[in-house]
Amino acid sequence: MTKLFKLKLIALAISSTLITACGDAETNIVEKDPIEVPDDHDHGDNDDHDHGDEYTIDSLGRLVVLAGDSNTASFFDLDDNALLETFTLNNDTNTLSSSPDFRYAVIANRAQDYLGFIDGGLWREDHGEHLHDYKQSPAAISYELTSGSRPTHLVKHDGKLAIFYDGNADSGTTASVEVLTDNDITNATATLPGISYDINMHGVAEPRGEHLLSTIRRDDADSTSAAKILPDQVGVYHFHDGEYELEQTLALTCPDLHGAAQNHDYVAFGCSDGVLLAHQHDDEYDAEKIANIDAIGDLRIGTLYGHEDSETFIGVASGHGGGPAVIVSIHPEKAEMEELEWQLADGASAISYSFSAHGEHFLILDSLGFLNVLEAHEHDGEMHWELAGQVDITEEDITTMPEGMKFTMTVAQNGQFAYVADPIAQHVVQVHLEDLEIESEVELTFAPSAITWLGIAQEEEEDDHDH
Amino acid sequence: MNRRSQLAVLIAALLPASVLAKTIEGVVLNSQGNVVTNAIVEVEGSEIRVTTDENGRFVIVDLKDGLKELHVVAPGYAHLHRDIIINNDESHSVTFNLKRSPIEVIDIEATPIHMSAMESASPVSVLSGEQLRRQQAATLGDSLEKLPGVNTNFHAKVASTPIIRGLSGPRVLITQNGLDVSDVSRVGPDHSVASEASTAQQIEVLRGPATLFYGSGAIGGVVNVVDNRVPTDSTTRGEWNVEHNSVDNQKVASFNATTGTDSFAFYADAFWREADDYEIPVAAELDDHDHDHEEHSGDYTVANSHEESDGFTLGTSYLFDQGFVGIAVEQFNRQYGIPGHTHGGEDEHSDEEESVFADLEQTKVQLLSEYNLDNEWLNKINLRAGFTDYEHVEIEHGTVGTTFKNETNELRVDLMHNSFSKWNGGLSIHYKQSDVEAQGSEAFTPPSETQSIAVALMEERHFGDFLVQLGGRAERVTIDADNVLLPNIDAHAHDDEDGHDSHDHGHEHAHEESTDIIRVFNAEHEFTPVSLSAGVVWDFAPSYNLGLSVSLSERAPSASELLSFGAHIGTGTYEVGALFDMHEDGHLGLSEQTIDLETANNIDLTFRKTQGDIGFIFNAFYNQVDNYYYQIDTGLYAESGHDHGDEHDHGGEHDHGDEHDHSSELPVYLFKTDDVVLHGFEAQVAWQLTDEFKVDVFSDYVRARLKDGGNLPRTPPLRFGTEFSYQTEKLSAHLHVTRYQEQDRTAPEETTTDGYTMLDASISYDLSVLNQDVSLYLRGTNLTDTEARVHSSFLKNIAPRPGRSFALGIRGYF
Repeated sequence: MTKLFKLKLIALAISSTLITACGDAETNIVEKDPIEVPDDHDHGDNDDHDHGDEYTIDSLGRLVVLAGDSNTASFFDLDDNALLETFTLNNDTNTLSSSPDFRYAVIANRAQDYLGFIDGGLWREDHGEHLHDYKQSPAAISYELTSGSRPTHLVKHDGKLAIFYDGNADSGTTASVEVLTDNDITNATATLPGISYDINMHGVAEPRGEHLLSTIRRDDADSTSAAKILPDQVGVYHFHDGEYELEQTLALTCPDLHGAAQNHDYVAFGCSDGVLLAHQHDDEYDAEKIANIDAIGDLRIGTLYGHEDSETFIGVASGHGGGPAVIVSIHPEKAEMEELEWQLADGASAISYSFSAHGEHFLILDSLGFLNVLEAHEHDGEMHWELAGQVDITEEDITTMPEGMKFTMTVAQNGQFAYVADPIAQHVVQVHLEDLEIESEVELTFAPSAITWLGIAQEEEEDDHDH
Repeated sequence: MNRRSQLAVLIAALLPASVLAKTIEGVVLNSQGNVVTNAIVEVEGSEIRVTTDENGRFVIVDLKDGLKELHVVAPGYAHLHRDIIINNDESHSVTFNLKRSPIEVIDIEATPIHMSAMESASPVSVLSGEQLRRQQAATLGDSLEKLPGVNTNFHAKVASTPIIRGLSGPRVLITQNGLDVSDVSRVGPDHSVASEASTAQQIEVLRGPATLFYGSGAIGGVVNVVDNRVPTDSTTRGEWNVEHNSVDNQKVASFNATTGTDSFAFYADAFWREADDYEIPVAAELDDHDHDHEEHSGDYTVANSHEESDGFTLGTSYLFDQGFVGIAVEQFNRQYGIPGHTHGGEDEHSDEEESVFADLEQTKVQLLSEYNLDNEWLNKINLRAGFTDYEHVEIEHGTVGTTFKNETNELRVDLMHNSFSKWNGGLSIHYKQSDVEAQGSEAFTPPSETQSIAVALMEERHFGDFLVQLGGRAERVTIDADNVLLPNIDAHAHDDEDGHDSHDHGHEHAHEESTDIIRVFNAEHEFTPVSLSAGVVWDFAPSYNLGLSVSLSERAPSASELLSFGAHIGTGTYEVGALFDMHEDGHLGLSEQTIDLETANNIDLTFRKTQGDIGFIFNAFYNQVDNYYYQIDTGLYAESGHDHGDEHDHGGEHDHGDEHDHSSELPVYLFKTDDVVLHGFEAQVAWQLTDEFKVDVFSDYVRARLKDGGNLPRTPPLRFGTEFSYQTEKLSAHLHVTRYQEQDRTAPEETTTDGYTMLDASISYDLSVLNQDVSLYLRGTNLTDTEARVHSSFLKNIAPRPGRSFALGIRGYF
């Protein structure tokens, strides 16, 4: 690390005597040997890395790309679109996502009951007097989670990731939840806090500060769900003394619960009869249900998207097994659900959805290769999502899409970029969401099956966007 | 409802009311000519004290020759002062006529000179009996806030401490039976006072400088909580109480009892209290960003304002003819949430708030003794010794964040002399030593040892219609800290317009070297504060008097004011002691200023009507404090160093914008000295309309400003109020209205606080069950359910006063 320098004892005595009207005060101060503080004193890890004169790093971040035809994960530097490192994964057919603070790639394999992590090498630490950014090569790490059965829904919020393990009725394993942070990955925390159920279910958990809102499956006789594996209740778990404890069960049921999202004030769950909203008041949550609107018809909202700074949620209603989808916006404060004016073009189906980094855009990637960028606008005091524009992300003939593959998308958390992977052209395009233009390409030598962005997320800038 | 001093009645009755050598016998009557029972007649400058029997009669025997000053005291009456000269083998028969006093007059215990609301040169208040029981609350500050000149710093009900004439913290000393309560409540507003009102007998407040009696920590005043833990007699008596309060589901139970034999007396008390988060009429946060105001359906509460405490005291004493000696042990436990103890202060996301609570534990041993001797010079020796072991831990996420400790030893001996050419008084010798330390993330003050030794002389004398009270005290205070730390905190300004702060920080603070050092100092301070006080009370007309008191008081700054360097989460500031200063280049180093004593020059003027159907007390004061230690906002920010490795770091997918950049940073406040002027008044008028009806009106005000312009923070606003009382043998009802005006004289970092009116009422009914006096009561507070934010509170913006509440309770006496 740095050279330790020895300071000799400085015996500096400052002595002053002052006589006031009556009283008298004397101060005598002697300076002793100073304490040297290692640079990383607040963090306890003494990683050897050099850093320049500055502590923060300007970088577009890194991109992880899974290959469709091999079990590898490739890491690219987005500043020069160069390949940094390729890692071989244990299994095929993985899903890819990022850790809550975007330092690690999370490789999940549901069938193998496996979650592994790869260090993206770009992260920020808060050193008290300054923010300290680090840039290292991507690195494999040994930390993995293998104790839960069927990790399915991974939900991130505000520095926490909740992993919902569905369990498996066939093998008699039960559902559980584990909550982890980037620090847990860094420190290889052996036992994570979470919930253990005594039944399996296809559920979801939303981490929210000290709370964890997680689904509850009741006895089949009591359950209002048509598919009994889907839970129909939501519990509020509170973190106490190292564990989550059930403090409240929301008063309303949510039959066939699937899909959840949260924003600053609400947590939303998709139910067959509408959307269940949990509204936080201190340590308690009020429950409210917004019934499905006519436009949803026989479908049900099974996927929800939310953003901390977006007042509205986006819900996607579809039939089981695909088919046409209806996209709605849900305004929790007004308890309103509304079909988006914008709907997919004929022949197109949505294959990926996401809010932009700061929530002002909602992105829908469709099967025809268009990235549809929606923006929230206010009309007569009502918020509506309207199309800001479309970006055609491929010049290829989409009928030549390799079997079983599709376009995939990820959103950078440090700017106005989204990245879309094109398996036909074997590249990833960088799309500027304000300008609605492709600004650069990351060339690949394989067809990408999944991508995710890693790096140092940026706080929102003061800007003119409607919120 | 009077507690009968049965023993005294018995003694009086046993004595033949016949002629004895050198006796004074007499009868005490009221202005209607009816006898006054249970009046106490005492001979000043001696320990002689008798009580009138059911015929209003008393006898004082075995008197020596000479002038005797008799002091006659009875509840509800003005005190009477009468001189009688005793000659050889003479007996005197006297009749005392007591006049009614609508303002209760109770003497302060344990001062060598006579102090009461009506008679002394400097202003005092005493809360006792029924009034104390009506006003007692979970915290000392809230219990005393209805007294003129006393406000609460209302720390969300859990840790409120009293503010006397605008001063608090290290300037107001809290004592228990005259000995320092020895907690850390003087260091942080979120630290609770380790003393309990529900088992106390009376609470005394000395307003204005009282360093004369108590030393350095009392420059702004003293609150002395008196109980009978070391019993001075063995009369069997006791009191119990059970109460439920609606606003916070508070449950309280307490009792105290005294009993004993001829030679031994025993005392026990215990209390238990549990309260949930309290309800409030509006959202807790003044500046609430929630969008759902109108739709809010449930009750609002102040999160994390729950409290749970219990304690017991056991005491015993040996009674002998010349006095008593006794010892008492107290165990005091308290657990309370610390509202607003968020890391980084301004975070409006209640869901992100970490619940922090304090777990306080104190063991207190007090040894008290009084020895009346028959010496040529001395007539009484009072000895008080205390040992206190205090610890409180602040717990976050189930782990200990910071531990505060205070271990104090104290000894106080008062030598009371015989009347010496009509001067009464005594010499007081006082030693105190405390070891204070804070360990953990909030350890903003390094460990230190403070020792003080003092000698004080207090004397009084009547010159006709004048009472003169004089006093002087010299003290030596040493503060030693051998590990004062000066870290390199890289304090910096925030540029509000810039969204890219974090980047800028990196550039601005690029270091040439990447190793920081923490400078370490050994600091030794020695102070010699001196206090002088002179007062005169002139009974210029019957029933009226005029008091004037002037004093010069010096105070040694406290360890926290000098040595602090670190994040003080309780106040949401990064505190830097007066030992340090900001250099021109913006970094913090040792101060080049000399560390000096704080000096208060105080004038108090009092005008009273002491008896009759109308009584009043008007006080005006002017207090100029030179070298007043206070904190200034440097405009810089420093990292709290408090939440590293914490899972609550923002920076996930859902970043909330700019303000969170600084979520763990605190504004840097530096202790500086300046000259300060405090002036104001307290007014109290009581009018006994009929035997049953009484009206009290009061008002107080303090203006606290820097001599060179500017206001001190958290100064209570102008306040006025009235109380209507209706009292019969069985029934007692009170209606209390207090108006707090808007406070717009604010310090730079403060905002104006709106005024509000508090309406309280109580009713109680006495009945006798199984030979016990039992009193059932119902008390309503904040009946209009108004939003009341307390300007003097650090939590003004996040914790208003509780909403409407009803307390139902039962109290018994035996």
